[in-house]
Amino acid sequence: MNENHIYDIIIVGGGPGGYTAALYGARAGLDIIVLEKLSAGGQMALTHRIDNYPGFEDGIDGFSLGEKMQKQAELFGSKSEYAEAVRMDLNANPKMIETDTGVFYGKTVVIATGANPRELGIARESELIGRGVAYCAACDGMFYKDKTVAVVGGGNSAAADALLLSRIAKKVIIVHRRDTLRATKIYHEPLMNTENVEFRWNSTVAELLHEDRLTGVRLKDVVTGEKSMVQCDGLFVSVGRKPATELLNGQLELDHSGYIIAGETTQTNIPGVYAVGDVRTKLFRQVVTAVADGAMAAYMAEEYLAGDVW
Amino acid sequence: MTAINMNNEMFEQFGDGDKPVLVDYWAPWCGYCRRISAAYDKIAEEYSDIIVAGKINIDENPQLAEAEQIEVIPTLVLYKRGKAIDSIVAPESKGVIDRFLKEALEK
Repeated sequence: MNENHIYDIIIVGGGPGGYTAALYGARAGLDIIVLEKLSAGGQMALTHRIDNYPGFEDGIDGFSLGEKMQKQAELFGSKSEYAEAVRMDLNANPKMIETDTGVFYGKTVVIATGANPRELGIARESELIGRGVAYCAACDGMFYKDKTVAVVGGGNSAAADALLLSRIAKKVIIVHRRDTLRATKIYHEPLMNTENVEFRWNSTVAELLHEDRLTGVRLKDVVTGEKSMVQCDGLFVSVGRKPATELLNGQLELDHSGYIIAGETTQTNIPGVYAVGDVRTKLFRQVVTAVADGAMAAYMAEEYLAGDVW
Repeated sequence: MTAINMNNEMFEQFGDGDKPVLVDYWAPWCGYCRRISAAYDKIAEEYSDIIVAGKINIDENPQLAEAEQIEVIPTLVLYKRGKAIDSIVAPESKGVIDRFLKEALEK
C-alpha cells in the first residue's frame, strides 16, 4: 500500500450503499477504494433471505448479495481493503482516513458505515454476550434448542426473531414496553397463534440475572412499577439500531438520533463528503434505498471532482 | 493458503506439532461464521509461516466442540502444544483477529 496515494473516492463501509457508490464511481473512471473491516454486505450479510430486492424472484441470501455487489464493483476497477477506520479528518485537504492497517487519502469520502444493533444499556449486558445475551436470532438461535428465551422489543425485527425462535426454543417470551406490537400487521396473527409464545406487555428489562451465564431477567411493569422475575436461558435484544457515527467526532452534522444529516443528494455539511445508506437521515432504510444513495453519492463526487476544487 | 478443514484426528495431530494452531469453530448455518471466513482465510495466509490455521465444523465434530467447551460460534481458539492459550468470540473485524492473534502468540 502506497501511503501517499490520493484516491478520487474513499468509501468507508462495504455494504450495499458503499459498493454501489464504488460501482458507479469505477464505471465513471474514478480511482476508488472501499475500506471494509470484515466482509461485504454490512447488516444484510446476516439476513438469510432477502425477498424485496428486485431481480431475485426466488430471493437471495444477504451474504451472497453483498459478495456479488463487491465483485461487480471490482470488475470495473474498484479496490477493496480490509481496514477498520479509527480516525477521520474530513476537513483536511486531501481528506484523511486513518485505519488499523494504515492511512488513506482521498479527494472525496463516502461514509457508508451503516448501523448496528442498539443495546439495552443495562448492567452486565456486554459481559453476558455469548453467555445468554444475543442480538441476532438467525445467528445464535440454534444454541437455544428446547430452551426458554426472551425477546425484547416490539418492532418488525423483534417479531421476526420471536417467530424464528418459536420454531427452535421450548418457550419464547416477548417483552415489550407498550401494550401492543409496533411490528407490521403480518406478524401479529402468527405470533398470537403460536402456542409457545407468551407476551409480557408494558414491561422493560430492569436487570439481568446470572451466574456463569444468564439465568433470567427482572422485569419492570412501566404502568404499575411492579417488578417480577422471569427465568430464561437466553435474551435476544431487538430494540432497534444505532448509526455508526462515533468516529466522526463532531465533524459532520448529526440529527438527535445520531444519523448524518444528508438529503437525497447524500451531500453532508462538508463539501466532498457524502453519506449513504442506513447512516444518513431517511424515512425508509432498505437495501434498495441504500443502493440508490450509493449511485447518487458517486454522481455527486464526480461532479465535485470535475469542478475547480481539484 | 486458506484455512485447513480439520477433524478430530487432524486436530490432535497438529496439536502435537511445534507450530501453534489457530482453530475457527463454525457451522454452516451460522451467518456470522460466513462473514468472518474470508478474513480468516486471509489471516491463515498472512501467518502461514508461524501458525497452522484450521476450521472445525461443530456439527460434524460435536464431541470435540463439547470437549473444548465451545458454546458460541464463531469462536477462535489459539492452541500451543494442544493447550488452549486464549480465545475470542465473534470478532468484529479482521483487525480484531490480528490483534487477538498477536497477543495470544506472546502468551
